[in-house]
Amino acid sequence: MKIPRLLQVVLIFVGIYVAFKVVFGFVLGQPIPSSLLTMYMFFVVAGLFMVFTFTDESTRELVAPIKALVEDPARKPVRNVVFIVVPLLAGAYAFNVMLPDFDAPLELRSIHPAPPSTVKIYDQRYDLSTLENPLRKFQKDDPQKFRLLVAEGAEVYIRNCHYCHGDKLDGNGPYAQGLNPIPLNFQDIGTIAQLQESFLFWRIATGGPGLPDEGAPWLSAMPVWENFLSEDEIWKVILFLYDYTGHRPRTWEQE
Amino acid sequence: MYSATKKVSAIESGGRDRAMFKRDTLLGEAAPVRGHHAPGLVMLIATLGASVPSIAQPDAVSRTVEIYAQRCSGCHGQEGDGLGPAAERLNPPPRDFTLGMYKIKSSGFDEYLPNDEDLLRMIRDGMPGTAMPAWGDVLSDQEMADLVRHIKTLAGYEADEKPSQQVEYGTQVLGSADSIRIGRELFLERDRCSECHGKDGKGDGLKSLKDDNGERTWPRNLTKPWTFRASNDPRDIYTRISAGIAGTQMPSFADPASDKVLSSEERWHVANYVSSLAKTDNVVRPDNTVVKAAKLVGRLPDSADDPAWEQAEPSTFFLVPQMLAKKRLFKPTNDTISVSALYNEQEIAFLLEWDDRTQSIPGDENAEKIADGQIFEDSVALQLPLDIPSGTEKPYFGMGDPTHAVNIWQWTSGTTDEPEQTSLINARGIKDIERRDAAGAGVQATGTYQDGTWRVVINRALATANPRQDIQFLEGRFIPLALAAWDGSNGETQSRHTMTSWYWLLLKSPAGSRPLIVALIVILAIIGAEFWWMRSASRRRRQ
Ligand code: HEC
Ligand code: HEC
Ligand code: HEC
Repeated sequence: MKIPRLLQVVLIFVGIYVAFKVVFGFVLGQPIPSSLLTMYMFFVVAGLFMVFTFTDESTRELVAPIKALVEDPARKPVRNVVFIVVPLLAGAYAFNVMLPDFDAPLELRSIHPAPPSTVKIYDQRYDLSTLENPLRKFQKDDPQKFRLLVAEGAEVYIRNCHYCHGDKLDGNGPYAQGLNPIPLNFQDIGTIAQLQESFLFWRIATGGPGLPDEGAPWLSAMPVWENFLSEDEIWKVILFLYDYTGHRPRTWEQE
Repeated sequence: MYSATKKVSAIESGGRDRAMFKRDTLLGEAAPVRGHHAPGLVMLIATLGASVPSIAQPDAVSRTVEIYAQRCSGCHGQEGDGLGPAAERLNPPPRDFTLGMYKIKSSGFDEYLPNDEDLLRMIRDGMPGTAMPAWGDVLSDQEMADLVRHIKTLAGYEADEKPSQQVEYGTQVLGSADSIRIGRELFLERDRCSECHGKDGKGDGLKSLKDDNGERTWPRNLTKPWTFRASNDPRDIYTRISAGIAGTQMPSFADPASDKVLSSEERWHVANYVSSLAKTDNVVRPDNTVVKAAKLVGRLPDSADDPAWEQAEPSTFFLVPQMLAKKRLFKPTNDTISVSALYNEQEIAFLLEWDDRTQSIPGDENAEKIADGQIFEDSVALQLPLDIPSGTEKPYFGMGDPTHAVNIWQWTSGTTDEPEQTSLINARGIKDIERRDAAGAGVQATGTYQDGTWRVVINRALATANPRQDIQFLEGRFIPLALAAWDGSNGETQSRHTMTSWYWLLLKSPAGSRPLIVALIVILAIIGAEFWWMRSASRRRRQ
């Protein structure tokens, strides 16, 4: 059986609407903001309109059921119902839209924005594209010394970082709930496992304020550790982050 | 060697009291902080991958020592003496396991040895309100049971040693209105509990409290159940007041030697009363990030006890210690703050309310006695951007930045010599601060302290004569808002304070009749179109 074209349009519209809700609500774990949904659905309607009125023929086929409703005397009772329900629905929608909106504005930020190519830390310029953790080599060369460095990194962490990132490194420290954005979860494969040690060095040394605008530096509570830790301590705490989570830093060879 | 498996099954069957899961539900409510949090699953896999031995069980003892060294020693110390590197920046400090004293226990009041289930529970579920995390999602039941045995041996107990007495529960009295009323009477009777916990249970009893190690302890604020080490279920509270909290001043009320002893039935009444103290209107709701100011027609309240405040809806936020710059704060006492706002055609008024156990008055003998070290004034501050942002870009939440200035309104509580004070700061980052005349800019604030709670009202005109220096409030716009608080008895002054991240303020413009008018116009327009369509259709048919 051929589905009438008008019904096709309605089905496609509803299908896409539900898909947005499902993808955002369940897959991405955040309900889609209504302003974004309205915008997307506007494009969907425009697209459908263009496709379904591409030829005169298809236009005629599309509007035929609507025309019949108005022009076919046999359908008068249905028409009367539709003609009352449609304006009422539109009125209710308009009323809702006009009510003031008390939902907080959406704040999108990029969690891992592109780092600058060079940064100034400790009054010194670092080239992030070549920077490496100077302590990493001990992992192979002197495992005993490496364990010691990791232990020192653990100490830096437990004295400074666990308040926010949690002593299980799961981003759930005692004060995590009071912060927005939330401290990052280093156990998650989406954070340090994706990053190079030089990226971490930049993020730890320059903190929230060191982020570019797309990272919303004005929101992040990540402190500027350059002010509290030495360069050596930052490299050690980086060793610890990878050691405790079992992740491996990304390296240039992998790219 | 001991038989570890037998032990665990005993714990499994004996220890799963319903109340134990209370913490999970409490945290569960608070956990979905804005944005989403990957659950522990990922990390669980990561740790399992890293730590499951490929051969059969290696020596269980050395494995436990290894887990302890990796997971626990940073706080509790390699030797279990509570002196790990984190210790000096934590209050309460990590437990010293060599003392063999534990806070949460269900064994008799006159012995220190807890039941294994008590220790297991604290390790598995963690201790809310402290740095002690819940390990249940990282360690297996077996590993935690082994840790319990290990910890006991650090204090010189036998790994299998059992307490000789248990808390007697009698018959539980269920929490009726009557029971709660009796409980309240017993709570206040001869200052039994209020001596330390205060009249309303906010932990504001006027006493200097030190634990056995001389470390500052604070009586629990009983209206904040999410800070209880072991849930506010009546059965848990009953257990605490029966066994006491070892190492702190919290005594046992089952001890017949105490002059404030309570019978089993009385303890149930008190437990029901304490459980009922969990307030609901001042809890943090993570999805609520907007302070909605309601519009009034008449005069705005200029004091905290004005009944007009009932028309405002308080929003409560977590306070976190300042760790961004200068002198940092690691041992905060204030943990939440509530904000309400009202406005009219000319003015806006804010009500800031927060529980603070101590009214800190420098120069006052009593206040000085309670304070931990030097005493400073209590204080609160409200931060707003100088220009309401139109895009997503805002000033840095820690006092603005060079390109985005903030207004900071601060109220301080006063000393024995000086009255309360209101000050005004314009800041573009911590290094660029301009002190201004608050009265000149029309910022007025006044505060009152009662039974463990500060209530401060701040008023200002919506618009000022100086728009280049003062924020100009606009109806219907989302205005970033952040707060800070100081507990002067906790050594908090200047950069040592608690604070919030950015939230929003919205002057809720009344909807008025506009939505209705627009809806009517839409309806009439569509009906008009329908008529036009029908008429042209019938005309066409007639032709
Ligand atoms: C006051 C809370 C706080 C403290 C203390 C803190 N952080 Fe952060 N950190 C955050 C927040 C919030 C974020 C997420 C926002 C951002 O990316 O800036 C973050 C992000 C990070 C990131 C970026 C991870 C990624 O995937 O891009 C790293 C790395 C990091 N922190 C390391 C540390 C280290 C190391 C310490 C201790 C020396 C520390 N943090 C202490 C709050 C904190
Ligand atoms: C980030 C610091 C930290 C880490 C890591 C930590 N603890 Fe604790 N722990 C604490 C603090 C703080 C307390 C004291 C809380 C209090 O006094 O209210 C505590 C208390 C305890 C108690 C005493 C419970 C009671 O009733 O008194 C036990 C048992 C315990 N921890 C076991 C462990 C074990 C086992 C580990 C490792 C798997 C561990 N802790 C890791 C901070 C920590
Ligand atoms: C002499 C002072 C004092 C008295 C009297 C006192 N308490 Fe406490 N109470 C404390 C202190 C101090 C703490 C916090 C202990 C700690 O540091 O964990 C506490 C903690 C508590 C807790 C928290 C338990 C948990 O799981 O965190 C409860 C509940 C409690 N008290 C109830 C009572 C009740 C009910 C009474 C009266 C029958 C009472 N207290 C009398 C000092 C006292």
